[in-house]
Amino acid sequence: MDKIIEFKNVSKTYPSGTHALNNVSLSIDKGEFVFIVGASGAGKSTFLKLIMHEESPSRGTINVNGIRVSTMKRRKVPYLRRNMGIVFQDFRLINKMNVYDNVAFAMRAIGTRPSVVKKRVPYILDLVGLTHKAKSFPSELSGGEQQRVSLARALVNNPEIIIADEPTGNIDPEMSFEIIELLSQINAQGTTIIVVTHEHDLVRHFNKRVMVIDKGKVVSDTKENIDETSPIEYTDEDFSFQAELNTETDENSHIANTDEEVDYQ
Amino acid sequence: MKITGFGYLIKEGLKNVWNNRLMSIASICVLMSCLVLTGSAVLMSMNVDLMVKKAIAQNETRVFLDMDISRVEAVYVGRDIEALENVQSVKYLSKDDTIKEFKSYLGEDIFDHMKDDNPLPDVYKVTMVDLSKYNETVNEIEAIDGVDTISTRSGTAKKLTSVNNLVQILSICIIIALAVISLFIISNTLRATMHSRRFEISIMKSVGATNAFVRIPFVVEGMVIGLISAIVSTGALYFLYSGVVGIVLNIFKFTDPVAIESVIWYVLAIFVIAGITIGALSGFISIRKYLKKEGNEILGW
Repeated sequence: MDKIIEFKNVSKTYPSGTHALNNVSLSIDKGEFVFIVGASGAGKSTFLKLIMHEESPSRGTINVNGIRVSTMKRRKVPYLRRNMGIVFQDFRLINKMNVYDNVAFAMRAIGTRPSVVKKRVPYILDLVGLTHKAKSFPSELSGGEQQRVSLARALVNNPEIIIADEPTGNIDPEMSFEIIELLSQINAQGTTIIVVTHEHDLVRHFNKRVMVIDKGKVVSDTKENIDETSPIEYTDEDFSFQAELNTETDENSHIANTDEEVDYQ
Repeated sequence: MKITGFGYLIKEGLKNVWNNRLMSIASICVLMSCLVLTGSAVLMSMNVDLMVKKAIAQNETRVFLDMDISRVEAVYVGRDIEALENVQSVKYLSKDDTIKEFKSYLGEDIFDHMKDDNPLPDVYKVTMVDLSKYNETVNEIEAIDGVDTISTRSGTAKKLTSVNNLVQILSICIIIALAVISLFIISNTLRATMHSRRFEISIMKSVGATNAFVRIPFVVEGMVIGLISAIVSTGALYFLYSGVVGIVLNIFKFTDPVAIESVIWYVLAIFVIAGITIGALSGFISIRKYLKKEGNEILGW
C-alpha cells in the first residue's frame, strides 16, 4: 500500500534544548487509522506539528503524501495543509459564527467558490448529523456537538488525512465513542486518520493500529488485529503513561513545557 | 490566489472596520490631522508661489523719493529717470495719490487715526524696455539724487521665496512626523483587530489559507480607514480654506488667492492615494508578525 506519511530518522530539538523526538522512523499507509498514545511531553504534539509542517525537523526526512515536507518552501506549506483536516481538543470554533459559517469558513479561507460552499457544507453537516443545528452558535451546543462541528470543518475540504489532537479530551465518554465511531466511518471511505489520545478505553475498544510514543521515541507500534472478533489486549506497560500523567517528575517537566496541556478558555 | 474568494475577503475587511469602530475612529482622526495639515501647507505654498509669479510678471519698479523732496525737485528726478536709455515710461504718484491707492486696498478706517499726516513718500512707477538689463537700470536709478529706495521685483520675489521655503521645510517636518504617527496608530488598530481575530487566523492557516488570503482583510481594513480619512480631510480642508480666505479677503482686499474649487479634486485624488497607501502599509506591517507564527503561537499559547 502507498505510504502517506513517512518519517526517516527524524529528530527534533527545540531552541531551548528540549529533545522532543529522537531518531524516529515510521510510516503510515494511505487509508490507515492510527492511534498515537503517550504521556504529556512524550513528543506526540511535536509529531503532529512536524506532519503539518508547523515545525521543521532538526534531523531526518519527512514525506507527506509524496512531498518531502522537511525541506519544503514556506510558501508551499498552505497547499500541503489543504490535504489535511485538523480536529482540536478545544474544538476551536469561532463563537460569533453559527455552525454553518464555522464549517464554511474553512472553505472560504482557501478561496472556494460560494456555489461550491453552498453545496458542500450541508452535505458535510448531514454526514456528522448536525443539519438541524446549522443555525446554532457554538455556545448553544454540547461538547460532543461542538467536536462534530470541528470534525465537519476538518472534513469539508475533502482532505486525505485527518489529524485529531485529543479530540475526546473535552467531552464525556459516551460522546467520545461517538466521535471515534464517526472517524472510523470516514476512515472506511479511504481517508487516513491519525488520532492522538490519552484514553485507553477508546484505544482498546476500537481495533486500530496503536503507536506509543515515550520520551521522543516510538516504543510500541501495534498493527490492527485482522481478526476483529478478538480485539488486541494491551498490556499495562503500554498504558503506563497514564500513571505518569498524575505524577510527572521534575526530571521530565522540562519536556512537558513544550507540549504541555493548555487550559483553554 | 483565486479571484473567487476576493469578495469575501473585502467584506471581511469592511466588517473589521465596523467591529473595531472606536480604534478605527481614532486612526481616522490621526490620519485626518496629518492630511489636513499637509493640505494646508501645500495650499499656503501654492499661494506664496502665485504671489511670487505675479510679482515677477509685473514689469513695474517703484522708485521711492526722499521724504523731504519738493514737488519741483521730484519733477527733475522724474526727468532724469526718463532720460535713462532702458526706461520706457515713468509715471508720477504723489504722496496723496499713494495714500489714496492704499486706502482703496485696505479701506479708509485703517488710516483714520493719521488724520492729515501722510508718512508715504512720492513715488515713480517705472517700466523698462529690456528686462535683461534690469539690474543695471536699477543701479542707474539709485544713483540719481533724490531717490531714496527702489522696490525691486527681485527683492519681493526673494522675500516671498524665502517665506515659501520656510513653510515648505516646516511642512515636510510636520508631515513626516504625522505620517509616522499615523502609521503607528493604524498599525495598532489593526493589531487590535488581529488580536481579536487570532483564532480565525490560526484556523485559516491550519486549513491551508495562503499568506495573501490571511493578509487581505487587514490590508483592506487599513485601506478603508485611509479612504475615509482622505474624504473627510478633503471636506475639512475645503471649509477651513474657504473660511481663512474669507477672513484674509476682508482684511487685504487686493489679494487674489488660489481658488479652492480649482484644486479640490486634485487634493482629493492625492489624499485618497496617500490615505490608501498609508493604510495598506499599516496592514502589511502589522500582519507580518502573525504570518511568521504557526499554530498555538498565533494564539499566544
